[in-house]
Amino acid sequence: MSGLAQRELFWNVPLPLKGALYLSALLAFAVFAYGIYQHYQRWQVGKPEKRPGDLGRMLQEILLHRRLLQDKLPGLMHLGLFWGFLVLFVTTVVIAIQEYLRIPVFSGGGYKFFSLIADIGGMTVIIGVVIAFTRRYLSKAPGLDNRTDDGIALLLIMLIALTGYFTEAIRIAAVGETAPAFSPIGVAMAAFFKGMSDQGLRGAHQGIWAVHMLASMAMVAYIPYSKLIHMVTGPTNQYYANPQSAQTFPLIDLEAEDAESFGVSKIDEYTEKQLLDLDACTRCGRCQEQCPAHLTGKPLSPKKMTQDLKVVFEERLKAPKPLAAGEAAVEAAAADDAAEERPLIGGVIEEEAIWACTTCRACQEACPVYVEHIPKTLELRRNLVLMDSAFPPEVQTTFRNMENNGNPWGLGWSKRADWADGLDVPLMSDVEDPENVEYLFWVSCFGSFDERAKKISRSVVSILQAAGVRFAILGTEEKCCGDDARRIGNEYLFQMMAMENIEVLNGYGVKKIVTICPHCFNSLRHDYPQLGGNYEVVHHTELIASLLKAGRIAIDEKLKKKVTYHDSCYIGRYNRIFDEPRQILQAVGAELHEMPRHGTQSFCCGAGGGRMWMEETIGDRINITRSREALALQPEAIVVNCPNCLTMLTDGVKADGKLDEVAVLDIAELVAPALKR
Amino acid sequence: MAKVWVVVEAKEGQIKKVTYEMIGLASQLGEVEAVVVGSGVKDLAPGLGAYGVGKVYVVDQPELAEYTTARYTRVLAELIGQEQPAKVLIANTAQGRDFAPRVAQRLGLGQISDVTGYEQGQFVRPIYSGKALAQAEAVAAQAIITVRPNVFNAVSAGAGTAEVVERTVALQPNDLLEVVREVAKQVSVRPELTEANIICSGGRGLKEPANFKLIEDLADVLGAAVGASRAAVDAGWRHHSFQVGQTGKTVSPQVYFAIGISGAIQHLAGMGSSKVIVAINKDPEANIFKVADYGIVGDLFEVVPVLTEELRKALA
Amino acid sequence: MNIVVLIKQTFDTEAKIAIKEGKIVADGVTQIINPYDEFALEEALRIKEKSGGDVLVVSAGGEKVKEALRSALAMGADRALLVETEGAAVDEGIVASALAKAISGLSYNLVLSGWKAIDDNSAQVGGRVAETLGLPQVNVVTQLTIEDGKALAVREVEGGTETVEVPLPALITAQRGLNEPRYPNMRGIMQAKKKELKVVTLSELGVSGAPQVAVKNVVLPPAKQAGKLFRDDVATSVAQLVQALRNEAKVI
Repeated sequence: MSGLAQRELFWNVPLPLKGALYLSALLAFAVFAYGIYQHYQRWQVGKPEKRPGDLGRMLQEILLHRRLLQDKLPGLMHLGLFWGFLVLFVTTVVIAIQEYLRIPVFSGGGYKFFSLIADIGGMTVIIGVVIAFTRRYLSKAPGLDNRTDDGIALLLIMLIALTGYFTEAIRIAAVGETAPAFSPIGVAMAAFFKGMSDQGLRGAHQGIWAVHMLASMAMVAYIPYSKLIHMVTGPTNQYYANPQSAQTFPLIDLEAEDAESFGVSKIDEYTEKQLLDLDACTRCGRCQEQCPAHLTGKPLSPKKMTQDLKVVFEERLKAPKPLAAGEAAVEAAAADDAAEERPLIGGVIEEEAIWACTTCRACQEACPVYVEHIPKTLELRRNLVLMDSAFPPEVQTTFRNMENNGNPWGLGWSKRADWADGLDVPLMSDVEDPENVEYLFWVSCFGSFDERAKKISRSVVSILQAAGVRFAILGTEEKCCGDDARRIGNEYLFQMMAMENIEVLNGYGVKKIVTICPHCFNSLRHDYPQLGGNYEVVHHTELIASLLKAGRIAIDEKLKKKVTYHDSCYIGRYNRIFDEPRQILQAVGAELHEMPRHGTQSFCCGAGGGRMWMEETIGDRINITRSREALALQPEAIVVNCPNCLTMLTDGVKADGKLDEVAVLDIAELVAPALKR
Repeated sequence: MAKVWVVVEAKEGQIKKVTYEMIGLASQLGEVEAVVVGSGVKDLAPGLGAYGVGKVYVVDQPELAEYTTARYTRVLAELIGQEQPAKVLIANTAQGRDFAPRVAQRLGLGQISDVTGYEQGQFVRPIYSGKALAQAEAVAAQAIITVRPNVFNAVSAGAGTAEVVERTVALQPNDLLEVVREVAKQVSVRPELTEANIICSGGRGLKEPANFKLIEDLADVLGAAVGASRAAVDAGWRHHSFQVGQTGKTVSPQVYFAIGISGAIQHLAGMGSSKVIVAINKDPEANIFKVADYGIVGDLFEVVPVLTEELRKALA
Repeated sequence: MNIVVLIKQTFDTEAKIAIKEGKIVADGVTQIINPYDEFALEEALRIKEKSGGDVLVVSAGGEKVKEALRSALAMGADRALLVETEGAAVDEGIVASALAKAISGLSYNLVLSGWKAIDDNSAQVGGRVAETLGLPQVNVVTQLTIEDGKALAVREVEGGTETVEVPLPALITAQRGLNEPRYPNMRGIMQAKKKELKVVTLSELGVSGAPQVAVKNVVLPPAKQAGKLFRDDVATSVAQLVQALRNEAKVI
């Protein structure tokens, strides 16, 4: 041994032990491969689905833990585990390169570098395990539930890390270390073994080394059969994730003669990617900790739903098609029967849970592995509505009203444009050169019929007029956009509404649309292209912000009001409009105080996904939960961007008797009166 | 002059007010005669003379003690067939509108239903829930007219006695197929929300559940149903089955009292088609006043008890 | 149990009424199944689901009425029959005679319809059809039980209810409260396109005759007055309100 920093590889490992390692490694990888193959087969149960992948997103998530770090402590926990293990794995690979390829990568500077990072990596793994263990078993963090494999995985990881340090320490105690500064933990631990005989050290080393290797191989083999599968499914799911998930949903061909059912009532009616979702879920609980339904005591947890579906999926897999007669076939048939006895809807997932979802998308935003909960829930709703007309009974009125009068309240459609009386708002049908109308103002049902929301419409009109934007409305030719129908699962009604609207819009050659309703906005923008409606759709917050920026409107008098701003789900999380409304607030001189949950983590008002038209009878009311979060800041006004949120939060503030002190206002209502004219 | 018949509507030995209203209308159409059908009703006939009825046909038979469609149809059709009056006026009540079309069909007559006016030889009747008025006339000389109660002025009593003609009608086996098993009177029970003619609804303005008593007292004076706004139901003051609105019941009574209800769109969706809307609210800007036919701007805790008292006196 | 349901296509309840030359304009108006007829249809479907049989929906009117019949088929009726009256001058008597004629040769145990239509508000057709077919009838029914060849029906009468028993076949007219009509599902909507919808004309039925009632004109009622707000002291306001309700609106 010269002065070169290095160590003897496989020191103190006799050939039989080395042979045993290779054998166990072979076995472990075989078991691993078989398990992965099984998983792959499981996904194939689902319907094929072509999806583009995004390698960049996957790598960002893996290496930087972008989403995992949204939740600090568990994010750091995972970061420690992940990076520690990655370093240890890379070090092992480097050692293998030196050993088998005889390339001296693990000597000299390389040795120092890898020794050091491996020493640190082992420590981050141990810290990660300690945090995980504490959250799971001591502080019992909400959102976590404990199963055997959680414990086994943590034990295995801890065992691997500790035995790694011990083999290192004993080796150093026995033969010394050429670069002691780069194995600080190993050197420090070696001190404990100073008094032991050489033989004793060698015996202990061999024993612990064997345990270390066995534990490592056990872990490899265990991956596909435990939550550790997320090491494979997580990145795969991140790769295939649809960033637009839930913005729109697959169009159903309702005319299909051969269609036997719509939506999903059996697990194999989901797509392969949707089944991959189930395998990617690690039960971390971040989704349910953001879920307005779960947090207010409804029988819905996105996590539980995913896990429940996974159980069905596993039950289904335990009953493969009988290959041979005899016991196996009988067993399989019995398992089939068991699966038959437990229908997906009602049996596995409660109907109330299916209806509790507000489609706020907070769960999907929180999920580190990009599980897409809402589309799966929607398929269940579609099945209930389209196949069985099963939905909360109060919704039927809303459906009928949309059909007969093109608005959810069933108010006479001929009164749809009455709000604009005397405002000099041109009707598209009266405009002689519709191609020169810059924006079609899509008023929405609320903006047309609801006395409170009509004030938003009027505010927007005065802003557009002040800016000299040429616009027109459809008037009585506008109908409900169908967003609620679609998200309640009534695809038939949605398509009916959408096609009628598209016919009118295309008839006028409409290209650009501005709307005050985030639900119309999202539907026009993302649903309508499926049916031939292609428009550039903007929300009024975007348009107002750009008009301010371009100097087409200016603020006369600053507001000097203390306000808080509520990000609606459909322009916020769904369409990433976070900055524009805040720019407007700044422009009008509002003093913005953010609620604890804002931006991507904003808390739903409770109206989305058709919940506006359903009773909320279980648990706390979502709108009151949210309005109290706002009221806690003691603002003078709660500013919103959506007529649904306006209704829900006004009701919430009213329920606490605070409406005299705190106004709930649409952002346009702050701008319109402050304009310079 | 043409003979015009009024089919007397009586209950428990009392001639109902609508009969006198029909006599008023009949007197514009011709010579008024009346028909009394039932059991033990003979004594009602002579008094009609004081109201200008010249002749009263009485069919007083034990089988006619309770009303059934087939028996009344038989009696009226036979009588009309025999006497050939030009117009037959029948009250547009549960009973009258039940047998009238049957009689018309049996005799091949036209019928003008639910008449609320008579102008220049034309019968006026509301159609499309009162959103339009049809002016109709009978093509043939003979026709049945059903008359909406509480619209025409009742004639007042004068002097005179009517000529009473007693008749007997032989009922056929087919006329006896219907059996009335049970008659349930609604005495103090409030009517069903969706079927009520008058509804009194309370909202958040009531401040606490105990104050619903104010609404109930008013409802009882009017024989009305009690409803609630979503806010009141959400607050737990009233069961969901009382909720009027988008996600509750849709109602269209003759009169809807909205008390302490602001008039959110989801509430209007459930009661907007009420014939007359009365709002009581302390906020003059409240939405409910936009749809109300009558409104009192004031403190409901002061207004409602006085209103209840006034109505009690007025209806006594 | 074979059931015939008589339905009518009417304007939507919120439809704005426009009048041209003394007639109601139907252009651009949403048409629906008369709500009371929908209660009748729903009841028929429930009886069928319980005891089997066949539900035939019958309507009279023009080509557009086929939409209402298809909706009824989508809800679950088995067959539909349209008595084509396009262009013909009809009144309640002629329509009732035609409907009765159209179903008279069929085998049925029960005829159901709404107690009135929300458009013309006549409440005659049910009774006239029952008379023509010689069936007993129970009108304005809020509860119906069919058993042992009899119908037990609870009907609304002045100040209460009456439970009436009639032998089948019989005609029952439905009132709100009888049931909550279902919302058609996709299976129903798809099947409805393939179900039988027959059309028969008045002349094929041998029904002729001139209407007995002539509608000379249709006018709009006096415009609803703007709401009256009473802002005086409580006693005066209340007195004004009571006065208005009694003498102006005439509703109390």
